[in-house]
Amino acid sequence: MSTDTPVKDDKPRRLEQSNPDYDPNIVVEAQNLTKVYRDFWGRQKVRALQALDLEIKKGEIFGLLGPNGSGKSTTIKLLLGLLFPTSGRALVFGKDASEVSKNERIGYLPEESYLYKFLTAEETLDFYGRLFDMPAKVRKERVNALIEKVGLTWAKRRQLKEYSKGMTRRIGLAQALINDPDLILLDEPTSGLDPLGTREMKDMIIELRDQGKTVVMCSHLLADVQDVCDRIAILYQGELKELGRVDSLLKVSDETQVLAKGLTPEAYDDIRAAVAKHGGEVLGIDNPKSTLEDLFLDIVRESQARPGHRTSRADGSSD
Amino acid sequence: MVVEEFPNFLEWVGPGLLLLLGISVAGAILGIFLGYVVASFKHGPFEAFYVVAKVISEAIPDAFGTSPRRILAIARLSIKEAMRRRVILVTFAIFAGALLFGGWFMNAGSDNPDQIYVNFVLWGTQLLILLMGMLISAFSLPEDIKNKTIYTIVTKPVRATEIVIGRIFGFGALATALLALMALISFAFVWRGLSHDHEIVDSQKVSAFYDIDPETRLSNRGKRVSPNAIKAAETTFESGHRHRVELVEDIRKPDEKQPEDTSNIVSQTIGPDGQIIYHRVIVIPTAGHTHRVTINGTGDDATVELGPATGYFRARVPVYSDGIQFFDRQGAPNKRGIDVGKEWGYRGYVDGGSRLAPNSLSKADFMFSDFDASVLGDETILPLEMSLGVFRTYKGDIEKRVIGSIQFESVPEDPASQNRFQSDSIVFETNEFQIQTLPISRKQPGRLIAPDGSTIEQGVFDLFDDYAKNKKLNLVLRCEDYNQYIGVARADVYFRATDDLYWANFFKGYLGIWCQMMVVIAMGVSFSTFLSAPITMLATIVTMIVGFFTPFIRTMTQEDVAGGGPIESLFRLVTQKNMEVTLETGIGTTLMEQSDNLLVGGLSTLTYLAPNFAQMNFADFLTYGYSIDSQRLLVAIALTLAFCFGLSILGYFCLKTREIAK
Ligand SMILES: Nc1ncnc2c1ncn2[C@@H]1O[C@H](COP(=O)(O)OP(=O)(O)OP(=O)(O)O)[C@@H](O)[C@H]1O
Ligand SMILES: [Mg+2]
Repeated sequence: MSTDTPVKDDKPRRLEQSNPDYDPNIVVEAQNLTKVYRDFWGRQKVRALQALDLEIKKGEIFGLLGPNGSGKSTTIKLLLGLLFPTSGRALVFGKDASEVSKNERIGYLPEESYLYKFLTAEETLDFYGRLFDMPAKVRKERVNALIEKVGLTWAKRRQLKEYSKGMTRRIGLAQALINDPDLILLDEPTSGLDPLGTREMKDMIIELRDQGKTVVMCSHLLADVQDVCDRIAILYQGELKELGRVDSLLKVSDETQVLAKGLTPEAYDDIRAAVAKHGGEVLGIDNPKSTLEDLFLDIVRESQARPGHRTSRADGSSD
Repeated sequence: MVVEEFPNFLEWVGPGLLLLLGISVAGAILGIFLGYVVASFKHGPFEAFYVVAKVISEAIPDAFGTSPRRILAIARLSIKEAMRRRVILVTFAIFAGALLFGGWFMNAGSDNPDQIYVNFVLWGTQLLILLMGMLISAFSLPEDIKNKTIYTIVTKPVRATEIVIGRIFGFGALATALLALMALISFAFVWRGLSHDHEIVDSQKVSAFYDIDPETRLSNRGKRVSPNAIKAAETTFESGHRHRVELVEDIRKPDEKQPEDTSNIVSQTIGPDGQIIYHRVIVIPTAGHTHRVTINGTGDDATVELGPATGYFRARVPVYSDGIQFFDRQGAPNKRGIDVGKEWGYRGYVDGGSRLAPNSLSKADFMFSDFDASVLGDETILPLEMSLGVFRTYKGDIEKRVIGSIQFESVPEDPASQNRFQSDSIVFETNEFQIQTLPISRKQPGRLIAPDGSTIEQGVFDLFDDYAKNKKLNLVLRCEDYNQYIGVARADVYFRATDDLYWANFFKGYLGIWCQMMVVIAMGVSFSTFLSAPITMLATIVTMIVGFFTPFIRTMTQEDVAGGGPIESLFRLVTQKNMEVTLETGIGTTLMEQSDNLLVGGLSTLTYLAPNFAQMNFADFLTYGYSIDSQRLLVAIALTLAFCFGLSILGYFCLKTREIAK
């Protein structure tokens, strides 16, 4: 994408500098963020998020994990100012989440693509482009580039109501990237995508990170998260259960894994002996990783058994 | 037509600006208050306070951050969205259907078919366009919130102002286009519905007209003909009516003004005394119009050709007096004229005395304070139009007209030392609410009267140069029939200046509808920021109704009504005390009166916040063929802008305090 518009960047930056606490390396900050949904009469319905403390740094891919209803989407909506926190603060680029000007540098892909069904893909991107301060020429270029990038060139003149779920998802992503944002919030980016689309999406997310952008995504598709995320937070019923780097969270240090090939079952004992005696052909010795699935299920089971804060296995703020 | 007292734009604009300010402040306060209430339900009263404080602090940056580009983008989207909704199509279909079938029920032969036609299209258009405006605006935001499409909007750098104003713009533009189309079609419909052609029955030749018996002066159909008619004929029956065509003898002295229109002259001869005798063919007006006559050929071969209908599409420009003053039978000034027991007091009455007391001094003075020749286009004949109320104490011959008179008087600055002019009375006959025109010559016979009442000079004086030398003139109206009364209001008697262009007036009338439409759209969008679609519609309708009856509610709350306010009235009703009984003084009564004052005061304040739709409604002007003066239009447009502005502010605060993803 030929996206860099130098004009755009200096306005928000100037604003940020007025905030003395602002550290440009911390893109998103949640302080004691709590959300309680209430009904019309003010009665408490659900405690969707409880005292979340979080810092997301510039240039990382951050994953929010958790079972259904654990508060992932709520967190993202709080960060976007779509919801107002019951207590605590959400800061984005050092500014309060309810401030509109931060949106110049944000891209958001909602859980489901909430788009205007009567517009075509081209019109959709053009419309969202008009909401940003960019010259018409740049807008046109970007619309075409994005349609190309999400692979919808063949259907760009069709109304979104005719789109399949995956196609809508793709145009939703294009819409989130129309302003070449510095922070991208993706709510379940791979849902509804075919395997190829999933692969492309993951590549794109990594590509965005490589361009220096920050990505926050939430998902319960663990494989996706494991593949792309640098750091993850695991939520369970609104509480933060785990926070850390994916590699350190999944490292199991007191075990050794041997990868061998072409052995008969009788050979196992021999290998054990051989390994003990440093014989045999060792194909690989490594620190194995449990899958994220194991970790996830562990945490969920443990939380069900013993409610309350869980002591982290890895250093939460590690980097 | 009932014309409300009305200030001009310059008089209005001072208080009007205040009104604008008031509406905006009220919009902001109401918005903040509603936001607070909603927020306190969700976050508790203290958190809500914090939310609202933050919103207020962001209002100014948001106002500056508002960009026309985003407003336009949202406006375009709103237009596309509304088009997709098909409301427009349905509205238009109903409109077309109404015109198609409505035409069948319209009687082009009635007294004023143009009024019926214009009234029909105006009210039809107004009803449909307001309904449509309400539908497209009330559903838009709630749908967006329900479908969550709003998520992708508010996470872009879009201000709440832009969401509200963009919608008002978009729907406004769309509805404007539809209104313009409906106006064009309406115009064509009225035009086509009224246009028709006649021929003379049997023969087009003037020589084939039948003779009029000079004794009876009656036509073939037994109707009285013009005093100078010598022959007559009838036209064919078209659009529910026919005209009588007359050959009249028009005699003029050579030094007199000669007829301007020469196309209807059959012959022109010189009389024995050198006077010129014209024989002309004229069409007697029926159903509010007449036809232009063209004579082809001469002598016995002369044939009559009747042109299209003329006189339907008028935009009369009335020059009203600046005030009216009644005098009672004894000649004492009186605020409302003589009480004839009519419950509705728009007109005041003057009486004609009775056989027992023949010299009633009852009269009504119409005071012109800027009576200048330029206002009336420097004409030598000034048409004075009247449409008067008549109240009969004996019915006798109900067809018989009531006789009245008018007289002109100068208004000296100092009556004790200056002479004054008084014209001779001009007598006229009238039936109730019949518009009639008296051609008033600029030269009026009368006398010059000294301050002591003696006549100094008798002669013919000029209305502008002599009577109204200081630009002030009194027109005195009296009733000259015993036991009858003539009712007048200020707007009932006026000089008529040159007509305005009809199509321009038609346009102005539709501009009035446009103003109402814009306010309705702004209400719909603004209310839908915090109400669901059906409730928004309900709220809009209620506000509209309050708006239409604003003048009524205002007088109700301002005038002292016997029996007290709502609570006191209820008390009297329940305790069976009549309106005149004074209540016992005591805490109860005082409390009752005070709460009534509060209630009534609140109600009258509310009427200032509800848009005064009556001030934007020019339907009557168009229907009755009066020019809509620009002052009214300016006020209506200013009012519209004020309300759109205030409602946008209300919408902004409501949307801003609202949790979108809730
Ligand atoms: N508008 C709402 N009103 C009331 N409760 C809500 C609302 N939205 C979410 N919740 C509740 O808040 C909790 C967290 O919901 P959230 O949508 O954040 O979950 P999630 O982690 O995104 O789940 P999923 O994986 O299914 O998307 C749930 O218990 C849900 O029922
Ligand atoms: Mg979710």
